[in-house]
Amino acid sequence: MKILIIEDETNLRDTITQSLEKEKYIVETAHDYISGMDKIGGYDYDCILVDIMLPNGSGLSLVKELKDMKRRDAVIIISAKDAVDDKVKGLDLGADDYLAKPFHLAELHARIKSAVRRKSHNGNNAIEWSNIKILPEQREVFINENSITLNRKEYDVLYYFMINPNRLINKTALAESVWGDYTDQADNLDFVYSQIKNLRKKLKDNGADADIQSVYGIGYKMT
Amino acid sequence: MKLRTYTLRYLIVALLAVIALWASLFYMVILDEVYDNIDDGLKNSKILITREAYANESILETREFGINQFKVEPLPKGPLYDFSDKFMSGFEYMEYDDDNEPFRYLETVFNDAHGNPYKLTIRASIVEEDELLEDLMTALIALYFMLVISIALLNHIILRKVWKSFYILLYRLKNFKLGSGVKFKAPDSPVTEFKNLGKELEQVLQRNETVFTSQKQFIENASHELQTPLAISLNKLELILENNNLNEEQATEISKISDTLNRLVRLNKSLLMLSRIENKQFEEEEDINYNTLVSEITEEFKDFADYKEVNLTTINAAQLHFTMNKGLATTLLNNLLKNAITHTKAGGSVEIIIDKNRLTFLNNGDTPLDKDRIFDRFFRSTLNEQSTGLGLAIVQSIASVYNLTAEYEFNQKHIFRIIFP
Repeated sequence: MKILIIEDETNLRDTITQSLEKEKYIVETAHDYISGMDKIGGYDYDCILVDIMLPNGSGLSLVKELKDMKRRDAVIIISAKDAVDDKVKGLDLGADDYLAKPFHLAELHARIKSAVRRKSHNGNNAIEWSNIKILPEQREVFINENSITLNRKEYDVLYYFMINPNRLINKTALAESVWGDYTDQADNLDFVYSQIKNLRKKLKDNGADADIQSVYGIGYKMT
Repeated sequence: MKLRTYTLRYLIVALLAVIALWASLFYMVILDEVYDNIDDGLKNSKILITREAYANESILETREFGINQFKVEPLPKGPLYDFSDKFMSGFEYMEYDDDNEPFRYLETVFNDAHGNPYKLTIRASIVEEDELLEDLMTALIALYFMLVISIALLNHIILRKVWKSFYILLYRLKNFKLGSGVKFKAPDSPVTEFKNLGKELEQVLQRNETVFTSQKQFIENASHELQTPLAISLNKLELILENNNLNEEQATEISKISDTLNRLVRLNKSLLMLSRIENKQFEEEEDINYNTLVSEITEEFKDFADYKEVNLTTINAAQLHFTMNKGLATTLLNNLLKNAITHTKAGGSVEIIIDKNRLTFLNNGDTPLDKDRIFDRFFRSTLNEQSTGLGLAIVQSIASVYNLTAEYEFNQKHIFRIIFP
């Protein structure tokens, strides 16, 4: 999969690149509006990450340009401006998602995968790992082709792990992604633990081969 | 005291003094003039009488004041008499008035045609001083009241006209709110002083507005600028953690740094939220049904409440509707509910009561909190490291944007109340 990052902040660009390359993505970068335009004009990408505030122009114009070209690249806006109107404007212009800085890399991976999957529509949009299968559109979970019932939050947690398998997920990242604004207090990290405990039990009881394991008490990893 | 009453009070006292002084002077001058006039008349009579005495000696026999207003008394010949005119005042009984009336007398000595000396006394009735004084007094009191009434009336009309622009200025100043985005405009005034006052006020407020705006802008910009370096630091730490070559101790330490940075992110986001609310950046408004919204949000918090063993109940006593920004309404409820659940011990309960124009959050607690400071920024009742200390400040800030009242009370339970207008 080919991904283009248009971001003027060198350090952030490098970090994202490093993280994505580890996932075996082919990553290209652009540091401003003009070089971004060049890259877009030259190649097709599976996903384009674009910052709004760029030297020589706005990332929103790039998004508009892509829409005018009727391109099928998935577009995710990454911005330091967590302003509602920017978000609405970006999504109206044809962006697939909007991620406010700072974000967790795991969250970025999840968003990229979701955006690409939604964009592809190739019929087979199931996410599979080991003997677990998720149909995101229907929010259904199968283990060995047997449907299992999870509550809403359990499903969200499992989805997050399925989209980030074998990756260390920080507790805070997971809490923010699944429970959003509703958790940001100290004891919530134990709260995440108790939620995961329930999910693990359900997976185990239904004969899943994969397991969610705690890593040094800092996060979890599904293996 | 109103300006009108204030000036009038001084004018009334001052007028009284002026009129009294003026009245006494006027009285003396008039009296002097009256005597002068009468004395002139008496002198003229004297000339006429002495001349007549030469022609008609019979009038020398007038011994008493009768119909004539004079009397003549012969004097023994011999001694040297004073021929000058002497004036004096006295009283005499008057039949008409049945009272003693004041008279003016001229006393003099003259020689008849034969050289015999006679004493001549001429009298003239004069006005009664006390009557004059009385009349004068009545006239003056009438004048005084007329003056006071007309001055009060003029005062009223003129002051209202003159101070009109001042009162408009005052009214506009009262309704002026710093940071509301509405510029202060002083009214036009024909009075230079008021025009200057208006202009100065406009300038002062403009300067204040600029400072206020730039300060708010500064917080917002600073928070924005912090986002990128925070993002880089957090993501780099995340990358390090993902490289599986760390031992447990190193990983835990890095995770701790990451948590601390996350706290900074939350703090930053809350500050940004506060300044956005104050900068009125949440413009879109819609009709919010609080009953629906509360049930949505309690649903979101269910896991958390269950985990904390806190019993969460909602009482829909009435339908509560209010037009505001949906995001802010959600934040308002989130922060209040999160606050309530977090500070309730296991086994306790959180109750939400929705009335027609009131939203009440009740939760168990032992000790009352500082009522005056609970909504202040960075005020923490407990030593909770993870708390930003801004949650309730955001509640307060949202409330004040929409003219809602946020209040706290302790009555066996902690009671947080939002009152809608």
